Amino acid sequence: MEMSGLKNRRILIVDDEQALLDLVVSVFQNDGYQNIATAKSVGEAVRLAKEFRPELAVLDVMLPDGNGFSLMERLRKDGDYPVLFLTARGEEEDKFRGFGLGADDYVVKPFLPRELLYRVAAILRRTYREEKTVVPLKNSVIDFSRAEVIRDGEHIPLTAKEHALLSALWRGAGRIVTIDALCEAAWGDNPFGYENSLMAHICRIREKIEANPSSPVSLVTVKGLGYKLLVEDK
Amino acid sequence: MKSVPKLIRRFVGLLLLSFILLILVNILIFAAIDSRQMANARPWKEAEEIAAALTETEKGFCLSDEGAEILRLSGAWAILIDNDTKTVVWHSDNLPKSVPTGYTLSDIAGLTRGYIDGYPTFTSGTGSGLVVLGFPKTSFWKHMWPSWDYQLIAHVPQIALVVVIVNVAVILLIYVSASTKLLRSVKPITNGIRSLPSGEPVYIRETGLLSEVAFHINSTSEVLQTQKRQLQKRETARASWIAGISHDIRTPLSMVMGYADQLQTAPGLTKEERHKAGIILKQSERIGKLVSDLNLASRLEYNMQPVGLREENAVALVRQAAADFANADPDGKYPVRWETGEGLSVCRVNADGDLLKRAVANLLQNSAVHNEDGCTIYVSVEKNEGNCVIRIEDDGTGASDEQIEKLNNAPHSMVCDEAAAEPRHGLGLLIVRQIADSHHGTAAAGRSRYGGFAFAITLPMAE
Repeated sequence: MEMSGLKNRRILIVDDEQALLDLVVSVFQNDGYQNIATAKSVGEAVRLAKEFRPELAVLDVMLPDGNGFSLMERLRKDGDYPVLFLTARGEEEDKFRGFGLGADDYVVKPFLPRELLYRVAAILRRTYREEKTVVPLKNSVIDFSRAEVIRDGEHIPLTAKEHALLSALWRGAGRIVTIDALCEAAWGDNPFGYENSLMAHICRIREKIEANPSSPVSLVTVKGLGYKLLVEDK
Repeated sequence: MKSVPKLIRRFVGLLLLSFILLILVNILIFAAIDSRQMANARPWKEAEEIAAALTETEKGFCLSDEGAEILRLSGAWAILIDNDTKTVVWHSDNLPKSVPTGYTLSDIAGLTRGYIDGYPTFTSGTGSGLVVLGFPKTSFWKHMWPSWDYQLIAHVPQIALVVVIVNVAVILLIYVSASTKLLRSVKPITNGIRSLPSGEPVYIRETGLLSEVAFHINSTSEVLQTQKRQLQKRETARASWIAGISHDIRTPLSMVMGYADQLQTAPGLTKEERHKAGIILKQSERIGKLVSDLNLASRLEYNMQPVGLREENAVALVRQAAADFANADPDGKYPVRWETGEGLSVCRVNADGDLLKRAVANLLQNSAVHNEDGCTIYVSVEKNEGNCVIRIEDDGTGASDEQIEKLNNAPHSMVCDEAAAEPRHGLGLLIVRQIADSHHGTAAAGRSRYGGFAFAITLPMAE
């Protein structure tokens, strides 16, 4: 199963506070993650990373012997894997610095454990995409790697725009993805005036993925705001 | 700065008026003196009177008493030169010895214009000869060549006018150049005074006429700058203190929330215990949000929050905030209705996208907080007279007129000492207002068309 594949990924958690480390570890373990290593300082994290070879790192920014930003740069020398900052520093400039250095996400404490899990899962899915290319829907299955929809044994190809739209919807599966975000995903940085084209594409996608496109169950409209892709295992 | 040229103009006007008055007064005085100077015709008149007072009798010429009185009063002597013989045929008793008794025609022409032996002489004809009056030597000065160019006399009024005008012009020129010089030294002073309220440091060169004023302005500026620095230091310290507290509280709160979340779903606990864990989680979330609000509000208040304005599509930002809110409300207790006109997909404003989304999120959250039983939230963006109006309304319990009035006009307790005794409300709306301010816009609470509370953020549209 793909999700269980994700949960075998090696996760390194670095925070100087033992109690918080314990909490985060328990949160991950309760959710089924099995390969977790923890470190309390930059030095320990760098040493540990060499043998543990993490596939995702959750880093605090303020550490006793340095900061998380420089730690990320040092870790990235040995392996290019995603990094999520989990920190009490919530100022915009800190966030921008983290993202500017190439962080994949930035979670400010206090955090909801489920939110952290969702974010980590999303990063893992994005990074190790090959494992999750087949997405089951109520009446069909999307195979992103082959850019096609399989419905009733029939393979229906997706156009590039449909693929881009479905990918954006899948990244936010179960949540509303706004009209603007979808236009941006399909038409790039200046996606104004494409609302009608978007509607036409959504109609065509529905014809491919829905059993009854006029009353959709997998790709639903949230009037005025956007669309929501409902996936079977989410 | 406009006041200085005005001042100069007023002074020049006053000066002109003074000139006109002065000239009028001069004319009056001149006329008065002149009327008295008519007395200068007196010796000629007296000569005429003496001539009239001389009568020829058988014994010779005889001066009447009135004539004698005239001579006595003026101290003059008189002679009568005979027409035919050119000799003196009569003279007053006080005739000096040096006065000749015989005259040639040229002598007579000379004495008519001038003097006899230093005595200024004045003449008047009679039937038989010429009466000559000789006044004391220092009583009159006589002009020896009493003739004028005819053109000059004919144009006296024009010449006088030109002279007056030239004089006035010269004086004005001197005044204006002197004033300009003064103005030049006043200009930095007025500029300095004008810059003082802006809070910028002011320095004026302490030289020239007004160096003392410049010195005092410089000192004032220094005092203001010191006060400003101290105030900034205090504000920074306050904001840093709040930031520090909010930072330190985050990690322990994370643990409270983390474990409460685990307890909420722990299988070994009773339903009631899990419910209590849920309450701990919810309240901890509230504390977390409060701390973050407090930090943002203090940073916005003390200008420590960087506001990166760039052209953004308000419709997309508001839609994203609404979608985020709807995503965080899986039960659909607070359904969001998108009421923006179908034709409006772009409304460009200069905004900090994250802050604007935060403002909209706060308003959506506000509707949820005040309507525990759920409500529908109506979100719209519209263009209105060059402004972009973002409206968040609900059909919930709403607010009284008094509450709305207070929300719109009373300062929040966090930013005003006087309101500290007022019952406090959350920081959410204060932050919305601060964000609107930092975007050069406005924020106003009101009644919703749908029966509940409404809040509108109005931002100027990008050019």
